[in-house]
Amino acid sequence: MSNNIKYWKGEEELNRDPQFLANQKHEFSEALPLEEVLSEDGFEMDSNRRDFLKYFGFSVTAVALAACYKTKVRHAVPYLVKPEDVTPGVANYFRSTCGGCSMGCGIEVKVREGRPIKVDGSSDSTISKGGLCATGQASILSLYDSERLANPLIKGAETTEWSKLDVEVKDSLAKLNASNKKVVLLSNTINSPSTLKTIELLKTTYPNIQHVSYDAASYSAMLSANMADFGKRALPRYQFAKAKAIVSFGADFLGTWLSPVEFSADYSINRRPTAEGGMSVHIQFESNLSLTGTNADHRFPMMASKELAYVSTLYNNIAKSLGIAQIPVPSNSELAGNAIEKSAKALLNNKGASLVISSSNDVEVQKIINAINFILGSYNSTIDLTNHSNQFMGDDLAVNTVFEELTKGTVAGVIFYGTNPVFNHNSLWAAAISKAEFSASFSSTKDETATVCKYVCPDNHYLESWSDAEPVKGVYHFTQPTISNVFNTRQAQESLLNWSNNLPSSDGDTLKTKGILSQKPTASPYYLFLKNNWATIDFNKALEMGVYTQASTEATAAIVSLAYSGNVSSLATSISKVAASKSSLDMVLYQSVGMKDGSNGNNPWLFELPDPVSKVCWDNYVALPKALAHKLGIEKDGTVNIEINGVKMENVPAFVQPGQANDSISLAVGFGHTHAGKVGGSIEKGFKPVGVNAYKFMNASRSNVVSNVNITKGSENYVLAQTQTHHSIEGRDIVRESTFNEWKKNPKAGNDKGAVHVYTIWEKQDYRKDGSPNHLWAMAIDLNACTGCGACVVSCSIENNVPVVGRDEIRLRREMHWIRIDRYYNFTNTMKDNFEGAEFITREKQIAKVDAQDKGEFAHWENVQVIHQPMMCQHCASAPCETVCPVLATSHSSEGLNQMTYNRCIGTKYCGNNCPYKVRRFNWFRYNDNDAFDFHFNNPLGKMVINPDVTVRTRGVMEKCSFCVQKIQEAKLKVKREGKSMDQVEVKTACQKTCPSNAIVFGDLHNENSEINKLYKNERAFSVLDEINVQSSVKYMTKIRNTHNI
Amino acid sequence: MNINRFKFWAVAALFAFSSPTFAEEARSAEEGKKLYEANNCGSCHALDKKLVGPALRGVHERRSEEWLVSWVRNNKKFRESGDPDANKLYQEYGGAAMNIFENLTPAQVLNIVEYIKTAPAPAAAGPKVAVDATADADKSDPSTKYILLILVAVFSIVLVVLARVKTTLRKIAAEKSPEDYPTVDANRKFYQRFLPKSLANMNPVVLSIFITLAIGLPAAWYGYKFSITEVGVQKGYAPKQPIAFSHKLHAGELNIDCKYCHSTVEESKSASIPALNTCMNCHKGVQLTDKYNGEISPEIKKIYAALDYDPEALPGKEFGSNPKPIRWVRIHNLPDHAYFNHSQHVVVGKLQCGSCHGPIEKMEVVQQWSTLQMGWCIDCHRNTGIDVANNNYYAALHTKAKKDVKDNENHSKYFGPDGNVKITPAMNGGIECAKCHY
Repeated sequence: MSNNIKYWKGEEELNRDPQFLANQKHEFSEALPLEEVLSEDGFEMDSNRRDFLKYFGFSVTAVALAACYKTKVRHAVPYLVKPEDVTPGVANYFRSTCGGCSMGCGIEVKVREGRPIKVDGSSDSTISKGGLCATGQASILSLYDSERLANPLIKGAETTEWSKLDVEVKDSLAKLNASNKKVVLLSNTINSPSTLKTIELLKTTYPNIQHVSYDAASYSAMLSANMADFGKRALPRYQFAKAKAIVSFGADFLGTWLSPVEFSADYSINRRPTAEGGMSVHIQFESNLSLTGTNADHRFPMMASKELAYVSTLYNNIAKSLGIAQIPVPSNSELAGNAIEKSAKALLNNKGASLVISSSNDVEVQKIINAINFILGSYNSTIDLTNHSNQFMGDDLAVNTVFEELTKGTVAGVIFYGTNPVFNHNSLWAAAISKAEFSASFSSTKDETATVCKYVCPDNHYLESWSDAEPVKGVYHFTQPTISNVFNTRQAQESLLNWSNNLPSSDGDTLKTKGILSQKPTASPYYLFLKNNWATIDFNKALEMGVYTQASTEATAAIVSLAYSGNVSSLATSISKVAASKSSLDMVLYQSVGMKDGSNGNNPWLFELPDPVSKVCWDNYVALPKALAHKLGIEKDGTVNIEINGVKMENVPAFVQPGQANDSISLAVGFGHTHAGKVGGSIEKGFKPVGVNAYKFMNASRSNVVSNVNITKGSENYVLAQTQTHHSIEGRDIVRESTFNEWKKNPKAGNDKGAVHVYTIWEKQDYRKDGSPNHLWAMAIDLNACTGCGACVVSCSIENNVPVVGRDEIRLRREMHWIRIDRYYNFTNTMKDNFEGAEFITREKQIAKVDAQDKGEFAHWENVQVIHQPMMCQHCASAPCETVCPVLATSHSSEGLNQMTYNRCIGTKYCGNNCPYKVRRFNWFRYNDNDAFDFHFNNPLGKMVINPDVTVRTRGVMEKCSFCVQKIQEAKLKVKREGKSMDQVEVKTACQKTCPSNAIVFGDLHNENSEINKLYKNERAFSVLDEINVQSSVKYMTKIRNTHNI
Repeated sequence: MNINRFKFWAVAALFAFSSPTFAEEARSAEEGKKLYEANNCGSCHALDKKLVGPALRGVHERRSEEWLVSWVRNNKKFRESGDPDANKLYQEYGGAAMNIFENLTPAQVLNIVEYIKTAPAPAAAGPKVAVDATADADKSDPSTKYILLILVAVFSIVLVVLARVKTTLRKIAAEKSPEDYPTVDANRKFYQRFLPKSLANMNPVVLSIFITLAIGLPAAWYGYKFSITEVGVQKGYAPKQPIAFSHKLHAGELNIDCKYCHSTVEESKSASIPALNTCMNCHKGVQLTDKYNGEISPEIKKIYAALDYDPEALPGKEFGSNPKPIRWVRIHNLPDHAYFNHSQHVVVGKLQCGSCHGPIEKMEVVQQWSTLQMGWCIDCHRNTGIDVANNNYYAALHTKAKKDVKDNENHSKYFGPDGNVKITPAMNGGIECAKCHY
C-alpha cells in the first residue's frame, strides 16, 4: 500500500485558491487576446462579405507572391589556413577550471569552430567529480555578454590603448610609493599560486601595497576558530562520503555552502539505501527552508540568533554521554524539543563517521562546532584539515580596517580584484573610494565599484584566460583559454605583471603554429609566466588533464600533531547571555542557489532558474512564515516594509514560505544590482534593479543573521514570477516515498501499489520487443540522490537552445524550460511523531489541520517535508500527445523516443493539452530575434552560445525534451563509423552530465548489462501515472527517508 | 547546346596550347616531358619563371651536360664535392636544397634537358581561352519565368482595355446613328453576348461553377505542381564563384580525389570547403605561367591575394599580414531544421560523392544536381541497402534479419532481390522524424 501523504505544491493548491482553481482548468494561461487586438483603434469588425473576399483575395495573392521570393545568396568562408586540430562540424573539448565562483570546479569546455558553447564538470577533478552546478553552467553566457567592458576606462572615459592606462597607473603607484602612502589590493579569495606570485612581485616593486582579501559570503569565523583551536587559518575539507550522520546548523552545503558540487556528489553516495551499507542520517537545524533542509531526514526550525545555545546544548549532550566535562550552562530543554538530544544520539551512534557543521559567522559557534567534531572523532575521518580547502580565505576584520583607513585617508590608493564592495559590503565605500588618490578595478563590467574607480582595467572572462588554482591543498586545477579575447580586455595578472615591470619577454618563444601565415600569434605574457612557474612538471599534460595532484607534503605524523587546543568552557558566559536574550524577529540573509553571492548579476539564465524551494524566478523576496504573514495580514502578492537598525526598505515583495521558522524571515543576497546591465538592472541605462540588495542589512560582523527586525505590511502589491503552481497534481499519486526501516522489511515499500488495471485503446504496441530494432532509450532518476539543485535545468537550456522568456512571460505561465524540478510539500508530523513512529499524517489528521488553519493557528507551517522530482518529457510508448496531433508533428520513433518535428508543427497546442505530465512548451514569440526579450539571445554576440546541432525554434511551435537526441545520434554515428557496437560508447544527456549527485541515469534498455537495465529492475522503480497506461520511458526511484535510525 | 559545343572547343583549345604535341625532335624530348611530369619538376620549377627553383629555359646554355646530370641526380653530393657553381646556386636560393633524383639515369636527365630545350616558348598573344563560367548560370535564372508571367499580365490588361475602348466607341457610334448599329437584345445579360448560344442559355449558377472549375482546376494543379517542385528548390543552381575554380579540370582531368580537398567529409557533418593552404600545396608551384604569357593565372593570383602571398619573395617570407578570406557562394543549402551529416553517408553508408552531387568531374561550374527535397532523401532511404554485414554496430540486427530470411524466405521484409538480406535505412528507423529534425 502506498502512503497516505497529501502532497501540495503551494499554498494556493493547499487552500484551493479560486484563482488557482480557475487557472488549472487550462493548459495555457489565457485564450489568445483576439478581442483585445480587434478592439484596438483602426480595427473595425463590421466588415461584410465583400470585405472578407477582398482581404481573402489579397492575403492569398500576398502569400503567393511571398513564396516567389528569391532565395537569398548564402556564403561560406573557409579558413585561410586551417588549424590542424579544428575540424568544422566537430567539437573539441578542453579541460579548464570554472570561474563561476571561487570554488574552483574542474570543467570540460566544448568548443565548436573556435567558440565555447558548453561547460560540463570534468571527471578527473576531485572538486567537481564530473558534475557542475547551475551557476557554473550559466557562467559561459557571461563570455558573450555584450555589456562587458570593451575597452579599459580612464576616469570613466573609454580608451583603446592599454599602454596609456599603464603609464598613468604606474605613475600613480610610483608617486604613492615615493610618498610612502598605503595602497591596498582588495581581492576575493585567490587560491591561484601563480596569481599570488604576481601579487608578491607587485608588492616587491611597490612595498607600500598591502594585499587584503574578503569574500561576500564570509567564512571568516570558521577560519578564526580553526586558527584558535588548531593553529591553522584554513577551512577543512569535508568528506561527506564518509559521513553516516550529518548534523548541519543552517549550512546549505548542497546548494551554496563552501563546495556544493563536491559535497552533493559525496553526500548522495550514502543517501542511496543499501542493504549492506545502510543509509546516512541527515539532521538540519535552520530558519529558512534551504535546499539542504529539503533533503534532510529531519529538519528542525531554529532561531538563528540563538544558534550558540543550540550548538552548546548539543555539545553538552554529547559530552555527557562521553563523560567529558560539559560547558557550565543551565540546560535549555525547551530548545527544539528533544531534537538536540536525539541528534546527539544519532551522532554518537555513528561516532567517527559523523559530521557537524554550521554556516554561522560567529567564532564562538564555530569553536563549539570544532569541539563537537573533535570529541566525536570526526577529524581525520569526515574532516580533513591536513589537506585543507583554500576555497575561502577572506578576512572580515582586515577588510573592515581597510574601509576605516580608506575613509580616514590613511589608505591613499585601492585596487579591486574580483571584489565589488560597494554592492556587497557597504555602500559607503563609494564615497571613500572617490576620496582616494588612486583607485582601480579589474572588473569586467562597469559594476557598482568600478563606476567610482579612476581606472577600470577589464579582466578577461575565465574562458579567455590562463590560470591555475589550488582549491584544495595539493590539488591543482588549470585554466586555459578556449577563445581569443572577445573584447579589448587584458588578464588582471598581466596588468599586475606589467605594473610591477615583470612582464616576461616573449621574444623567441612565440607559440609554434603549424600554419603558413606570418601572423604567428604571440604567447600571452602571463602564459609564459605561468609556464615558468610550472617548469618542474609536464605542463602540457597537466593542461590536458586540467588537474595535477601533488602528493601530500605533510607526513602522516602531521595529522596527529594537528592538536586540538580549544577550550569551550570559557564560552559559558556568552552562551548564557544568548540563551537568556529576549526573542525577537530574526532575518536570515542567505545565498540563492543560482545567484549565489551575486557576482553573476547580469546572467539571465540564473535569473530565470526557479529557486529550488520556492520556485520563484527573477526576484528575491522576503520569505515569511505563514503565522507571521497571517498576523500582518499579508496575502498573496503582498509586500512588506522592513527596518533593521536604521536601515529601511519599503515594499519588498513578500512570499509565504512553508518551512520558514516562526520567529524568522529571510531574504536572498546577490540581487538588486544598480550597475549590472540590462538583465540584472542598471540605473545608468535605465533598467530597474532586479530584486533588492540584501547586503545593505549586513552589519560589520558579516553575520548572515540579523536580529531585531521591524516588519510592517507594505502598501503596494507585487506579483512574483513563480513556476510551481502553474499546474495542479489533482491529488494523483505522483511521488512515492517510504522510510528506511520499511524499505529494509520490504524493498517495494511505498511502491507496492499492486498491479493497476490498465485499459488500452491501442492495437498492441510493444516497442520493447520487435518495434525497436536497435535501441530503446530510457531514463531513471533516483529521488534519493536528486537534491533539487537545478543544475540540470540550466544545462538543458544551454544544450538545447532554450530561450529565456523573462519575468512577465513566466507570470503568464509561459516558461520554456524543458526540464523542471517539481517540489512537493507535505506537513510532517509533530517532532514527537517524527521521532517515535512511522506514523505519517492521515487524511483525518490533515482535515484537522485545515480546521486549525481556520482558527488562525499556523504554527505548524514551519514543519514541512519536501520531495523533489525532476520532470521532463516521459517519452511515453503510448503517448497521448501523439494521437491528438492533427499534422503528425509529434510521433514515436522505433528507438522509443517521442519525436517533436518543429517544421511540421502548426501550433494547435492539442498535444500540450493532452499531456498528463505538462511538459510541453509552446513557443509564443521569436525569442531569438525579438528585442522585447533582451536576454543576450537577440544580439549577434549572445547568439554565439547557440548549439549548432539543435534547431532554434521559431514562434508558433511546440517544443519539449528530446532526450538530447542530438547526442544520441552523435554517439551512434561515432560507433557506426568505427564499426563498433553500441555498448562501447556512452550517451549522456545534458541533465545527466551535469548532475552533481549522479541522480540521473540514461541508457539503452536493449543493452542487458547497462546501468539503466539494473535500475529498471530495482524494486524502488516506479513510473509516474502508470495507471493511465502511457508506458513512460522514465522511471523514478522511490524516495526513502531515514527517519527512524537515530 | 551551342554553349556546350563552344565549351568543348574552348577546353580543347586550352589543352592544345598547353601541350607541346608538335615538338619536332620527337623521341627524347617526349620522353623528357613524361619524366618532367612524373617527377613533379613543375612543383618547384617553371620554364620561364623563377619559382622555388630557377627558371629552366636555356639551362643547357648555362651549364654543361655533365654538370646538369651530377646536379640533378644528387645535388648534395655534388655540392659537397666542392663545385663552386653548385654551391653558389645553393646560396642564391636561400639554402633550399633540391630533391635528390638518383632514380634517374644520366640519359633520362638529358632527355629532360632535351625537353626543356625544345619546349615551345609561350605564345606572344595567345587567344583568350578563359571560359565564361556564368553562361550556364544565367540560363537557369528563374527570374525569366516571372518576367514572362508579368508580360502575360500586361498584355491581358492591354487586351481588356482595348476591348473596353472598342465597346465605348461602338456605343458612341450607336448613339449617333442607331440605324447603323442595331441594338442587341436588351433582355440578354452582358455575359451572354459573348458566349455561344448553347452556353448562354444555361443556368447561370451552373455556368459560373463550370467556368470556375474550368479555369480553377488547371490553375490549382499548376500551382500545386509549381509549389512542390519549384518553390524553394534550387536544383541547377550554379552561381558564379569568386574564383572560377574548375572541378572539371581538378576532379575530372587531373583526377584529384574529392577527399584531398574536402578532407573532413569522413569525420564531420560538413565536407568543408578547403582552406587555402590546401590550394597552396600545389599552387605554390603550379602557376600556369605558360598559358598567360609569363604571368601567373589571374585565378591563381586571387588565391595569392587572399593569403597576401608574394611569389617573388624569398622562401619563408612570402606571407604578408593582410589576408582576406574568400567568400564562396554556398550552393547546397539545407534548411536549419534539417540535420545532415556527410560522414554518416560517406563512411557508414559508403555512398559515392556523385550519388548526390552528380558528375562533378564534368562540371566547369558546380551546380546543385539533386533537388535536396525531403522526398528525395526518403526515396533513397527506402531503397538503398545498408552494408550491415561488415559493421559491428548492426551485428544484432543482421543476425535477426538472417534468421528471418531463412525462416520466412521471400515473405521476410528483409528478403532482398538477390535472395540475401537487404536492410534499408527505412527498416532501421531511417525515415523517422527525429533522425534528421531536432
